[in-house]
Amino acid sequence: MKSLVHEFTKGIIRENPTFVLVLGLCPTLAVSVSVVNGIGMGIAATFVLLGSSMIVSLVKNFIPNKIRIPCFIVIIATFVTITELCMKAYSPVLDRALGIYVPLIVVNCIVLGRAEAFACKNNLAKSFLDGLGMGVGFTLALVLISAIREFLGSGQILGHTLIKGFEPPFIFGMPSGALLVIGLLLGFFNLIKNKKT
Amino acid sequence: MGNNLLVSGSPHIYTRESISRIMWTVVISLIPAGIAGVIIFGWDALWITLAAVAAAVSTELIFEVLTKKKITVLDGSAVITGILLAFNLPAGVPLWLPIVGAVFSMVVGKLVFGGLGQNIFNPALVGRVFLLASWPKYMTTFTKPFCDTVTSATPLAILKEGKALGHIPYWDLFIGNHGGCIGEVCILALLIGAAILFIKGYISWHIPFTYIFTTGLFIYVFGGPGLFKGDWLFHILSGGLILGAFFMATDYVATPLTARGQIIFGVGCGVLTAVIRIWGGYPEGVSYAILMMNAATPFIDRYTKNRIYGSR
Amino acid sequence: MNLQEFLSIFISSVFIYNVILSRFLGLCPFVAISKETKPALAMSAAVTFVITASSAVTWLIYRFLLLPFNLAYLRTLSFVLVIAALVQLIEMVIRKTSPVLYRAFGIYLTLITTNCAVLGAAVLNIDMFFVKGRPVAGSFYYSIFQGFCMGLGYTLAMLIMSGIRERLELSRVPKALHNFPIAFIIASVLSLSFMGFNGFKF
Repeated sequence: MKSLVHEFTKGIIRENPTFVLVLGLCPTLAVSVSVVNGIGMGIAATFVLLGSSMIVSLVKNFIPNKIRIPCFIVIIATFVTITELCMKAYSPVLDRALGIYVPLIVVNCIVLGRAEAFACKNNLAKSFLDGLGMGVGFTLALVLISAIREFLGSGQILGHTLIKGFEPPFIFGMPSGALLVIGLLLGFFNLIKNKKT
Repeated sequence: MGNNLLVSGSPHIYTRESISRIMWTVVISLIPAGIAGVIIFGWDALWITLAAVAAAVSTELIFEVLTKKKITVLDGSAVITGILLAFNLPAGVPLWLPIVGAVFSMVVGKLVFGGLGQNIFNPALVGRVFLLASWPKYMTTFTKPFCDTVTSATPLAILKEGKALGHIPYWDLFIGNHGGCIGEVCILALLIGAAILFIKGYISWHIPFTYIFTTGLFIYVFGGPGLFKGDWLFHILSGGLILGAFFMATDYVATPLTARGQIIFGVGCGVLTAVIRIWGGYPEGVSYAILMMNAATPFIDRYTKNRIYGSR
Repeated sequence: MNLQEFLSIFISSVFIYNVILSRFLGLCPFVAISKETKPALAMSAAVTFVITASSAVTWLIYRFLLLPFNLAYLRTLSFVLVIAALVQLIEMVIRKTSPVLYRAFGIYLTLITTNCAVLGAAVLNIDMFFVKGRPVAGSFYYSIFQGFCMGLGYTLAMLIMSGIRERLELSRVPKALHNFPIAFIIASVLSLSFMGFNGFKF
């Protein structure tokens, strides 16, 4: 039981896909302009991660080793297509905001990476928890980065102005600001890690 | 006998030069332009410059104390960054702007790379481009010279909007009687400062002259309503070209080491500046041009290495 | 199909909307492989080659297979499979025809399958050069050229980055910033510098 809980929690801090494994950065930087987008992408990616991890873990014994990567890709792409269509139908605003990064979930290193490194070697329960943990960790990272960028770049969070009279530096809504934020955050977390050891 | 007979190991020739000396001489060479800025734009120019310098020096000091490194604030390099950043700002900006910009310049432009001698980009320009992207309104609102309540556009901005220039006489451009950033408008003062650096041998002609010449040539060929009709003198005397070419593109650390490399650097800056001025969305391209060539410098250095004696 | 459009695609794909510094595609290999120039160059060449080829193939598939049979929603799935197959094919061809080249590209070729840049380029081509299910005039050539330019932009960013990072090997970067953090900070300043090309008009 303890090991099962461990599979879930490791994705949140110790092996956080964004800050520790440094995976899946493309969508992270692109969509983290606002917290709403960050949460939307996080949920979409978690859904794909969960679905694909579970299916891969179920069929792992039936897939020949040589073609396992293309098989994973097909499974992942199916879930991504489902996500794409649902998003277009139920939240077209979010779909337009996330743009090409929704179909790009299919090559998101986190999803493929977990399928290859974990789901094809572990049972259903563990794969489910691993996927869930990684998804939650990814979403939390997205929310953190988006909160910083949205506050600094537009003075608001979730559309609400926090400090009156604050003139936000627009650069944080731009690609340059995104790269700066992730660079400084990674450095900050490294500093904490170095202090601990 | 006194101390005329000194016994020691080599080197046996001593010079009074040191990093501090060079840096502080550069500071002195920037004073004419500073004085001109205050005369033209008022005391605000002085407060902005002092704020930027104070912020830059404090940032470096705090960083070095926190990371237990040697305190190097007295070498003058932080002061130069502060001054150059301030010279790239309009005189009407609120005082928190140069402070934030100076902190950004020092942290992202210099300290994260390891301090003096390690930076890839010119720190003052990193700060300026950051400020321009973050608070475009403040960074593009210029006051009329000798009258700090009326706004006016810079000559290059007027040119970019396609309006006729109504012609600003070259003499006005030369002494700085037009809208612009604190330290960039008075060409006369800048040239005096540059002369000081040339006399002392602290900068060489390679970068500034190839930069200015290339910009002028490109503008002459492509910058006019037809080929070979560009107003090159106007462009050379406008915007941040003189300030950039003599004081920022000559940064020892962020530019190539060899003469050949420096010429390539100068030409690259010139082409980029002219291209952005003519076809780009911004009226002025000096900051971007220099930063891009800073990024290319490691490559330029690699392929213009001097042949080491004895190697093939 | 006019020269203006090609020029505009070139400037925007290489400089303004640089595939790495602005669209954030292909970031994983960017920070991982840009430490030295030789691997960076090899990776960039491979990426450029694959993006151009896949731009052509995916366009054809979209135009003649997916659209006529109303299967546009299978775009993601089919594109990603096509790209994977294409990479396999290219790898086999290179191994047979030029072992030297194969050794140079090495593992990078396989890594390209998961490179967001390739799939991203394919999707962007469709988004930009198809209007309401119909290809715009010259769409095929624009798509291939855009793919190629994205490869060029990728190469430019990789080369600059590797030059800078090789030089940083000799610097005293603070320990917490080693490797990834400083790479991102450099990319941030590069992105800032490239903004100079915003608003380009010929």
